[in-house]
Amino acid sequence: MNRVCVVDTALVSAFGDGLPPLWDGLLAGRTAIAPLTRFAADRYLSQVAACVPGLKAESGESLLLPLLARLLDPLGSIPGDCRVLTATTKGGIDLLERRGRGELCPIEAVLPGALPTLVARRLGLADAGLNINAACASSTLALARGAAWIAAGTAEAVLVVGIDLVSEFVFSGFSALQALSKEASRPFDAHRDGLSLGEGAAALLLMSEPRARREGRTALGTLAGWGSANDANHITAPARDGCGLVLAIEEALAKAALTAAEVAAISAHGTGTVYNDAMELTAFTRVFGDRPLPVQSLKGAIGHTLGAAGAIEAIFALECLARGVLPPTVGLVEPEEAGRGRVAATAQSIQGDYLLSTNSGFGGVNAALLLGRPSC
Amino acid sequence: MLSAHITGIGWVNAASHGWGGQGRKFALTPGELPILSRAEVFAQSDRRFGRMDAFSRLGLAAVTYALRDAGLEEWREKRSIGLIAATSYGCLATDRDYFATVIPDGGALASPQLFAYTLSNTFLGEAALRFGLTGEALVVSEALPTGLAPLGLALENLAWESAAAMVAGLCDLVPPAGIPALPGLPPGAFFVVLERDMRTGVPDYGELRRDEDGRYRLAGVPVADLGELVTRSLAGRS
Repeated sequence: MNRVCVVDTALVSAFGDGLPPLWDGLLAGRTAIAPLTRFAADRYLSQVAACVPGLKAESGESLLLPLLARLLDPLGSIPGDCRVLTATTKGGIDLLERRGRGELCPIEAVLPGALPTLVARRLGLADAGLNINAACASSTLALARGAAWIAAGTAEAVLVVGIDLVSEFVFSGFSALQALSKEASRPFDAHRDGLSLGEGAAALLLMSEPRARREGRTALGTLAGWGSANDANHITAPARDGCGLVLAIEEALAKAALTAAEVAAISAHGTGTVYNDAMELTAFTRVFGDRPLPVQSLKGAIGHTLGAAGAIEAIFALECLARGVLPPTVGLVEPEEAGRGRVAATAQSIQGDYLLSTNSGFGGVNAALLLGRPSC
Repeated sequence: MLSAHITGIGWVNAASHGWGGQGRKFALTPGELPILSRAEVFAQSDRRFGRMDAFSRLGLAAVTYALRDAGLEEWREKRSIGLIAATSYGCLATDRDYFATVIPDGGALASPQLFAYTLSNTFLGEAALRFGLTGEALVVSEALPTGLAPLGLALENLAWESAAAMVAGLCDLVPPAGIPALPGLPPGAFFVVLERDMRTGVPDYGELRRDEDGRYRLAGVPVADLGELVTRSLAGRS
C-alpha cells in the first residue's frame, strides 16, 4: 500500500483567504459568525451565518465561481495527470434561487456534475473528474476515495476540492427543521441549541510518496486511514448510540494499522446540535474509552460549511499536528457532561502523531479520516 | 483488474419496472416515468414511501428491486453493504418544489419535509435504514455520465474489502423544464448488486471486470455504459 502524502493545500473561510486568518481567529477565540446581509432572514429562526468576506459574483453567475477562483488561484502547480474529486452538497444553488424569483440566469452550475468540470478547466487538467455528494461528509469521503486510489496505486496524484455556499435555500431548510441556533453555535456546550451555517472551500493535493519525492514536494502530512459507515437508522437524525461513527472510526484505524491509543486528538464534526454532539461523544467513548482525549470543533468559529467541512477540517488537522496544539472550541462555555476533560474553551496541547477528523450527515452518513505528521 | 459477480438487477424506466428474476422485458426507452405506488414496491405497509419526493421514490424502488433479485431484501442484523449512485440532475425537481415553499412569506412557510429530500443522497439513506445497510453510501456526478463510475467505485470497495456487497447504479428523473438535457441514458433508475463471490441460489448475471485501462467488460466483452450492461446481463441471465 502506498503512503498518501498531502503536498499542497488551499482554504477560504469566513475569516478570509488561507489558513493563517482562521488559525489566528481560533487561537483568539473569535467567531466569524455574524449577522446575515446576503438575504433577508427576519422570518427565520436565526439571522446569523459565517459568510466569506468580499464574495461577489458577476451578473448571472453563481457565487460559487468567485469562491472557487479564490480557492484555486493560490495553489501551486498541479500535475497534468492529476485526478479530480470535488465535493459539494448544493453547488451553485444560488442560481436556482434566482431562477425561482424569476431572474433569467444560466443554471448549468446547479447541476451536480458541473463542479469537477469547472475545477479541471480552471487548472488545465485532463481528467473529467467526479463530484461526490454524501451530505455533510461529502469532502471527507472525497478525501477517503482519493487516498484509497493513491494507496492502491490507481492514481499518483489526486486533487480534492470541497465547497459550499451560504444560501437562503439551505438556511431556510435548517430553519424549518428547527436546527439553527439563534446565536453563534456552541459545539459541545451543555446549553447548545443548534448549528450556524457557514460557507467555505478547501483543496488538498494528495500524492503518493514516490511521486512527491520525484517532484521535490514537501509533505505537509499524511492521510493514514479512512473509513465510512451508515447508521441505517434515520435520514436526518444521527443514531444515538453512534453505531455508524464507531464503525467508520474503527475502519479508519484498521486501514492505518493504528490502535485507538495512538490517536492524539479529534477534530470532531461538532455541529452544535443537541443530538449530533451527544452522538459523537458517545461514539468517542465507545472507541477511546474514558481517557481525556482532546476534542475540538471548528463550527462555532466558521459555521457548518456542509460539503466543504471535511476538507477544511483536514487542513486544520494537519496544522494542529504541525504545531502540537488543538485550538479552543469557539463558543464553548460550559462543556456537555460527556465532553468534560475533552473539549475546551482554551487551546490544548497534543502529544502524538495522529489526529482523527470525523463528519456525519443526512442520510445516516458517517466518515472518519486519520491525519498523520509528515514523518508518520 | 477488479471484478465482481452481478447477483441482482432492479430498474424503473418508461418501458417497465421490476427485477431480473421476474423475466420481464427490459428496454432503454425514453419517456414518462411511472409513478409507483407503495404496493408496487413493498409487500408490507410503508408510510414514508408515499411522502417521498419523486427522485427518492424512483431510486429507492430500483434499489429495492435489485436487493430482492439478489435475495438480500430480508434481514435481521445490519449488513456491510454499500450504496453508490450516479446522477446527472440529482434532486433538482425537488429543489425547485422546495424553494417554491420558501418564496412566499419570506421563508416562514418553508417545508421541512421537502427540505429533507433536497440532497441527492437522501434516498440512499432511505434504502440503508429499510434494509440495514451500513456500508459507504454516496452519490457521484460527472459531466459525461455513462453510469459506470459508481460501478467502478463499487468494484474498488469490494476489492479493498470495505463491503461484503455493493449496490450501484444510476437514478435520474426527466429533467425539469428549462434544464438542458445532458447526454446519457434515458431517465430512470437502474441498479445492480455486486458481490465478490457467488452465493448459491442467487442469479448469476455474469462477471463484471474493470481492466487496468479503466475499461469495463461483462463476461469478457467490452461494455460502454450502464444501459448496455443491464440489457446484456438480463439477456444472458442464467
